[in-house]
Amino acid sequence: MPLLLGLFSVTAACSSKSSEISDKSTDTITIGAAVSDTGKYAREGKDTRQGYDLWQDWVNNEGGGIEVGDRNYKVEIIYYDDEGSPDTTARLVEKLITEDKVDFLLAPYSSGLTKSASAIAEKYDKIMASGGASSDSLFTRGFKNLFSVFTPAQYYTESILKALSTKGAKTIVVAYEDTEFPTNVAEGTEKWAEKYGMEVLAVETYPKDTADLSAITSKFKSLDPDVFIGGGHFNDALLFVRAAKEQNFNPRAMVLTVGASNPKFVEEMGEDSAYIFGPTQWESTMNYQGQYFGTSAEYAQKYQEKWGETPTYQAAGATAAALALHIAIDKADSLDTEAVRQAMKELDEETFFGPINFDETGKNIDKPMGTIQILDNQIQVVVPEEISLAQVNYPVPGWKEREDNDSVASNSN
Amino acid sequence: MKNFSKILSKKWGGLTLWGSLIFLLSFYPLTGASGIQLFTATQIFLWVILASNWNLIGGMTGYLDFGHAVFFGIGAYTMGILVTNSSLAFAPKLSFWQALPWTGISAVIFALLIGWATLRLKGAYFSIAMLSTFAATREIVRILRPLTGGGSGLDLPPVLNRPGEYYFMLITMAIVVSLMWWIRRSELGMSLVAIREDEVGAEMRGIDTTFHKLFAFAVAAFFTGICGAFWAWQNTYIDPDVVFFQNRNIIMIMMCMLGGLGTVWGPVIGAVLLYLLQDLIWSNLVDYHLLVLGVLLILLIMFIPYGILGALGNYDTASIVRIFKTSNKTKAKIK
Amino acid sequence: MTQLLQTLINGLLLGGFYAVMVLGFSVFWGVMGVINLAHGEFLMTGAYLAWLLFTSFSIDPFASLLLIMPIMFIVGFIMQKFLLNRLLERPSLATLLATFGISVILANIHKIIYSADPRNVPVSYSGSFELLGLSLPLVKSLIFVVALAIMLGLYLFLQYTRLGKAIRAAAQNKNAAKIVGIDIEQVYAITAGICIALTAAAGAIISPTQAIFPFMGQPFTLKAFTITVLGGLGQIPGALLGGMLLGMAEVMVATYVPGIGTNLGVVISLLVLILVLIFRPQGILTGLKRMPID
Repeated sequence: MPLLLGLFSVTAACSSKSSEISDKSTDTITIGAAVSDTGKYAREGKDTRQGYDLWQDWVNNEGGGIEVGDRNYKVEIIYYDDEGSPDTTARLVEKLITEDKVDFLLAPYSSGLTKSASAIAEKYDKIMASGGASSDSLFTRGFKNLFSVFTPAQYYTESILKALSTKGAKTIVVAYEDTEFPTNVAEGTEKWAEKYGMEVLAVETYPKDTADLSAITSKFKSLDPDVFIGGGHFNDALLFVRAAKEQNFNPRAMVLTVGASNPKFVEEMGEDSAYIFGPTQWESTMNYQGQYFGTSAEYAQKYQEKWGETPTYQAAGATAAALALHIAIDKADSLDTEAVRQAMKELDEETFFGPINFDETGKNIDKPMGTIQILDNQIQVVVPEEISLAQVNYPVPGWKEREDNDSVASNSN
Repeated sequence: MKNFSKILSKKWGGLTLWGSLIFLLSFYPLTGASGIQLFTATQIFLWVILASNWNLIGGMTGYLDFGHAVFFGIGAYTMGILVTNSSLAFAPKLSFWQALPWTGISAVIFALLIGWATLRLKGAYFSIAMLSTFAATREIVRILRPLTGGGSGLDLPPVLNRPGEYYFMLITMAIVVSLMWWIRRSELGMSLVAIREDEVGAEMRGIDTTFHKLFAFAVAAFFTGICGAFWAWQNTYIDPDVVFFQNRNIIMIMMCMLGGLGTVWGPVIGAVLLYLLQDLIWSNLVDYHLLVLGVLLILLIMFIPYGILGALGNYDTASIVRIFKTSNKTKAKIK
Repeated sequence: MTQLLQTLINGLLLGGFYAVMVLGFSVFWGVMGVINLAHGEFLMTGAYLAWLLFTSFSIDPFASLLLIMPIMFIVGFIMQKFLLNRLLERPSLATLLATFGISVILANIHKIIYSADPRNVPVSYSGSFELLGLSLPLVKSLIFVVALAIMLGLYLFLQYTRLGKAIRAAAQNKNAAKIVGIDIEQVYAITAGICIALTAAAGAIISPTQAIFPFMGQPFTLKAFTITVLGGLGQIPGALLGGMLLGMAEVMVATYVPGIGTNLGVVISLLVLILVLIFRPQGILTGLKRMPID
């Protein structure tokens, strides 16, 4: 049994070691982040981390640090791997606060992990900026320290439904995965459909990791709706397209809430991906700009130079979250939680990621959701019009028409 | 190590050691341990309780329960529903302490219902029925959206109190393991082992097997439900996938197999060792955890099916040896 | 009416797949008395192999059966020979835990190699042909035909070849088979090889219709168990019947229950399993031998 106690103290020794890194005597703002390096969010976690890192590099080098009072601070981010598990996330956030004594926190990727993390941040009254969570329920818990730059899930389909209603779409069907985020999107969709005068003909749910969605499309086929809105994960997007083609289900517009804006989608589906709509938090082709990283395209270029790949919206969101914190510290001219929180709430800034303006609950209320459509195998931003380069294509041809068009085209060649 | 095993085998030896350990551990928060250290210790206690409970039905009674985490989920959801503004008209919003007894009770009721049906099944049939129950319950919780929040889950009030959590789990663990110690030596425990060894024989000798199995199942469910409720409270957020988590089943089984199936102290040792291994040694190799566990499981079955305590020749393991080695009865020397 | 017919067709196609998917599980259990909890993971392995061959060498998943089946035969043979045969003399809980361990290992090896991202096999001939107002999905119809062919092949093999007869003999009475000079361990290893090859083949042929990811296996194991319990042990007509029943039930529920149909479709097989185990654990039909319920 002394062995057991010994092991406890080993755990203690291991966990106190890392606090040496943040030496308080030099002027450094330490920021803690538990982000997935392994586990189910490993890929998005890597993007998030790279987004945070880009900001850190930029502040410390080009930005020349952050001025607070008459002192100049460098920033340093302490990372831990949350392993995609809520238990581990909670533990690491607590460790960042109590042992590493960080000044501020950056959130993990995913709404679920952010829920665990933000509860700890709330308890210790530390500000947490998130660039990877959009579930509405994060903001209904009465927390005052969580701020997220993403457009909340409820707003995902607003802009596209508005655009489609002006084009004459009248009826809509919704299918969504029965997990938090898609549920929020679907609830929002029903709300917006009503607002823009569309009739919701049917709503279907399906569980996570579903293998086959053809029962849903065959049900929808008999309703013959104008708009189909569906999705939850990247893979569901593929399954829906496949099932729609297989059952010859032809809505006049097909909106897939997740996946369509991912370049991999076009790669996987080829021609079948044509005309599909998808909401997007951010694209480098969007026409946004701000004081700090310039335009969206300039940000993308900077990211490309540092990491050798194009930024995903997760990466851009992460940079934007860190940037929001940065601007708030600047404005507050203080590292005090209360002052920075006030500055966060008052923030109203144009950035490369779009406008950032947090409401009382911490969600970003000013950023509209963009929508892309896949046209000529290209992901093109079509909505909102102010920041887009292409036009909404509606109604889209059915599966059989496309085949006929193809054969006509090949005959005429 | 042999001496250690001998102490555990003595009648009061194990319990005396256990009492002293709990006594020592109760001072840990007073030594200025940080929130995170208390949290880590609390997690270990949680796993010790879970493993001990699984062992009651899986090890002592010989019914390999591949879906025991279902009770964890029932407890967690009962807690979640009772402490949030649920749509249950008759249930007012309760506090943690008010809700806690109900979490255990609902797990017991569920256990009696499902156990009445599944415990009549033998061997693999029981295992697979429980695995199905686990998966089916997860999906049903998803469908019952008005009650459970569906796939979006429930947000519990974020009240965190690390020392409080520490003592709560420490006391629960002390109770559970002492209870296991008592059960193992009581008439009830003997009957359970008899059922494991030869159920038909036990019945012929007048043991009410159905009652004993159900009783063990209900006890295991009760404390697993309490653990689930505690986890839900401490995590402040539950959804079907984090609560009905398949790996929790796997890890519970592994902890018992590692320490020594069917013994009182095996699950305790197995849980502590496995948790510390995961936390200290493998924390850089997270993606390999389960792979290593799978390989370990096969090696244990092939070479030391009776776990660490069994390898040390512990008294408790004497009869479990026969579960895995029918031919070699000489190992079963009972003092 | 059209929708009902369409639903029946969808159920039939799904049922045909289920019937071939269950064969490996059912024969494994029937002959060796081992419940292979890694069944779904072997199916997943087959699907990943098909994906690998498709993306790296553009081999069609149906053609890739010729490669995948021999490879997986060897895997199954080795697993039986060096692991499960050694545990056969111990009570069934040991093999149950061992196959459980194998399932954990297989799923996580694939996760490490391919990551948890879902993979897809986008064959060029997706889509459907129309017949009397009904749409027949091309790939699923092809799967159905291949499934029937595999079942017929296995049936002929078990009935008319010498090895097939030895396997049936070993299933019916192990000791008697030993006495007449059958090398039981060898027969077991070959049977395991065949079962794993069949399971992997089932995985390969559905790869074009569904997402492939490391943790896709467990629902298949549970479904295989349900179908076996419904249709009888190690028996091909039973597998067909059980598969059809389950396929029809799932598709009917998914289509005719509004709102949560697809969710319920997932639960239905689990509920059927629990109900059958409670009320008729000896199975609906009698297969190669009686269900060993005790």
